[in-house]
Amino acid sequence: MSSRRPRSWQSSSASRITDEQINDLVSKLQAVLPEARIRRSDRVSAAKVLQETCNYIRSLHREVDDLSERLSELLASTESSSAQAAVIRSLLM
Amino acid sequence: MQVRNSFKLALLKQMLLGFQLSAVSSNSMSVPERKNAIKLSADAAMVFARGSTRWTRGLVAGLSENSNNEDLLRGILGKKYERLSLPCRSSWKIPRSRKILKRCLGLCSRRKKATATQHDVKSGSTLARRLVKKRIQVLKKLLPGGESMAGFSLLDQTLDYAVSLKAQVDIMRRLLKISKASNLNK
Repeated sequence: MSSRRPRSWQSSSASRITDEQINDLVSKLQAVLPEARIRRSDRVSAAKVLQETCNYIRSLHREVDDLSERLSELLASTESSSAQAAVIRSLLM
Repeated sequence: MQVRNSFKLALLKQMLLGFQLSAVSSNSMSVPERKNAIKLSADAAMVFARGSTRWTRGLVAGLSENSNNEDLLRGILGKKYERLSLPCRSSWKIPRSRKILKRCLGLCSRRKKATATQHDVKSGSTLARRLVKKRIQVLKKLLPGGESMAGFSLLDQTLDYAVSLKAQVDIMRRLLKISKASNLNK
């Protein structure tokens, strides 16, 4: 790991960003990705993590879109207040 | 990295509030209208649950571009709406963190150019550099408010956003499952 930068040109030590912090973020990103995309035990290049992160976010967007569609079909056919009350009850208990 | 239960609960509550405000269960809405209302409710709820951060402000800015969305956004976000609509202050640490990010991601070619003599440097480092640059550009477009972010902020916000999105998907999946079940029990 490369040496830490001199602090002289940083106005606030609390916001100094190190290489370690960046690498830590990249490994945290890798940990968030589903196992199917990258085996979390493997040490993977940052470029690969970035690529898989983009793919993951895109797939989540698609899922939200699909779920919205299915919910819209379902909620159209139910009685508003009773269905929602039942949902809230079961999810909050 | 995981979201807290309080996050999920707040997300669910505000999303259901959004459904009520936009009257998704009424028969007067067309399917595409209903779908958009649901999606908007889900996004606004996610913003509410997360609070103020760069991607949530970016998301509110994006959603506010359509004036039709304003009422529902205000309804779900309440007092938070004004604060979340403020323009982002550009971070002073962007130039430095961009340099660090590039080095860590293998984009920096100075070291490589100095040491590489015999073998062909062009294929290895140039390709890697171009690939990572491309992926960061893609990421910036995927992340709400990403265009104004760089370096550490970009990665940090990406992580935060991905985790929040996953929670949004989880809540919607469960909502769908339970709505189906409650339908069958009638």
